[in-house]
Amino acid sequence: MASVADTRPTPRFVSPTASRELALIAAIFIVGTVFTLLSEHFLTVNNLVQTMRAGLELAIVSAGMTLVIIMGGIDVSVGGILAVSAIVIGKAYQAGLPVYLVTPLGLMAGTLLGAWNGFVTAKLKVPPIIATLGSMYIFSAIMFLVIGGAWIAGLPGTLSPLVNGWVGVVPASAIVIAAVYLVAWVLLRKLPFGSHVYAIGCDEQSARLVGINVDRTKIATYAFLGFLTGLAALLYVARLRNVEINIGTTVALEAIAATILGGTNIRGGVGSLLGTLLGVAFIRIMQNGLVLIGVSSLWETVIIGSLLIVVLTVDTLRNRNNPRAA
Amino acid sequence: MMSSLASWRSTDPLRFRLVVLAVMWIVAIAAMSLVSPYFFRASTVPYLLQYVPILGLLGLGQTLIILAGGPGIDLSVGSIVSLVGVAVGGLFAAGVDIWLASAAGLVLGALLGLVNGVLVNVLRIPSLMATLATMFAFGGLALATTMGRPIGGFPAEFGWLGQGRTLGLPNAFVFVLLPVAVVLHVMLTRTTVGRHIVACGNDDRAAHLSGLAVVRIRIGLYVLSGTLAALGSIVALSWFLAARPDAGRGMELFAVTIAVLGGTHIFGGTGGIPGTILAILIVTTLQIGLQLANISAAWQLALIGVLLIVSVSRVSLWRRLKNVKA
Repeated sequence: MASVADTRPTPRFVSPTASRELALIAAIFIVGTVFTLLSEHFLTVNNLVQTMRAGLELAIVSAGMTLVIIMGGIDVSVGGILAVSAIVIGKAYQAGLPVYLVTPLGLMAGTLLGAWNGFVTAKLKVPPIIATLGSMYIFSAIMFLVIGGAWIAGLPGTLSPLVNGWVGVVPASAIVIAAVYLVAWVLLRKLPFGSHVYAIGCDEQSARLVGINVDRTKIATYAFLGFLTGLAALLYVARLRNVEINIGTTVALEAIAATILGGTNIRGGVGSLLGTLLGVAFIRIMQNGLVLIGVSSLWETVIIGSLLIVVLTVDTLRNRNNPRAA
Repeated sequence: MMSSLASWRSTDPLRFRLVVLAVMWIVAIAAMSLVSPYFFRASTVPYLLQYVPILGLLGLGQTLIILAGGPGIDLSVGSIVSLVGVAVGGLFAAGVDIWLASAAGLVLGALLGLVNGVLVNVLRIPSLMATLATMFAFGGLALATTMGRPIGGFPAEFGWLGQGRTLGLPNAFVFVLLPVAVVLHVMLTRTTVGRHIVACGNDDRAAHLSGLAVVRIRIGLYVLSGTLAALGSIVALSWFLAARPDAGRGMELFAVTIAVLGGTHIFGGTGGIPGTILAILIVTTLQIGLQLANISAAWQLALIGVLLIVSVSRVSLWRRLKNVKA
């Protein structure tokens, strides 16, 4: 009796997104090699650091978007949140407030708008896509009403060392990205909050039944995305020193694309921050490389869209036998 | 009296929604008459109806897709409008007869709809993500192939559809939107196909088990939506006599708003054409009224956003109110 061998396979943890992460690393490597061969300007420290700075805001927003999508939600209004936060920051600077007051104001604006999205989805029971579509209209209306078609220009670049500075040989923007992803990782993987986010994304009803405060978690997650978007707005103002009228028009779709490319399941419950970061890197390297080899930037959206279709198709075909994918 | 109203409301929520929409429309007309002295005039009617057909066609397609459940949605209709416009413009510039080019545009619209339908129903990518990706791809293609430049120089007689009037009413309304709406309404309420569409939206598993070709019906509706978007694009071409590569930007959000405001349940199974038509009239009335009163377009955006959120959250709020009373 004791001699019956235990034939069960040893339990082994395999991250459901590991293969995607490896595939993205390979893809970045291949694309990078191609661009290096086609353009002498691609593989230079200057160009790579510039690319990272250009991807700073997208990387920060995408971290929050990953949490929201893992929770089974989505937020297409981040562009509007970015715009309104940037306007709050711009107006505060123009009113002569010092940077240590402007920074919390900008972060607070983002957090509040994010929490509003969470409130509408959790309490008013509006499906997230509809709720955030509606919010996007409202936020862009606020933006137009406040700045009325004109730029806010000539803002101080007090925070620009965070974007353009160097700490020794490390660019400051890399440290900012690392810090944001570390915080998001701790929230998602090391605190009960993160398990709640995964649980809601897997099965909201069950999450409710085991006693998770679903509504509060939802509002907090959307608020966290809003907070990060407020941070992105601060860095945007620091980088460009103005607020353009078309600020944030593409960030929502790019952040969703980066998150999905990174292996997060659009139905929720599965996802990784590392994948998202690689997705952001891939998108920005593609954009940078295409410009360097002389392809019109207008083709970017076509490429991102097609890429997204391919990835989604592969995802769903691979998960065909998974009941969650039905 | 109150109880009979309540029971009527619960037995036929759709008819009640129509009454609410009609009242909302009257309120909108009254409000706009107060805001602008130019609004309440006979000459406003054709002016208002001029704006209705394009959004109306998109809204009707969206209504049917959402109605058939899944949950289905088509975010790419705006991009289809742009891409079909550019394609028709390109064919015309290459020397093809404008009416023949328009017919080719309709076929292209159907094909683009077919792409959406296959992605959503055969490859089983969630409709939201699939059509978001094709929205990128189609819209990007329209911009990239024209390098962002509009195509003009259409012959004046092509303006018959978009600019001409019959009995004082715009041709696009009399000869395009009205017949399409009537045909779709009859199809939905008086034919087996129509009942099958509603059945798919109510419970696709039950529909499948009772022998309905759920997948084929839904693909057909995406094709229909693509064709209607192409029709809308041709109306727009004929109105402006020029093809702008970003002509359809933002229209998908209006289309979803109209369908949902018109009482179509976002997860399918309930809804209809009359509600959608009333919703278009309300949205257009507000737009034209604010325009005549010279109020910033931002307010229109905000209003659409609020309407979108309220029209979806309404159901649960009412239920809560009813519970409080009981």
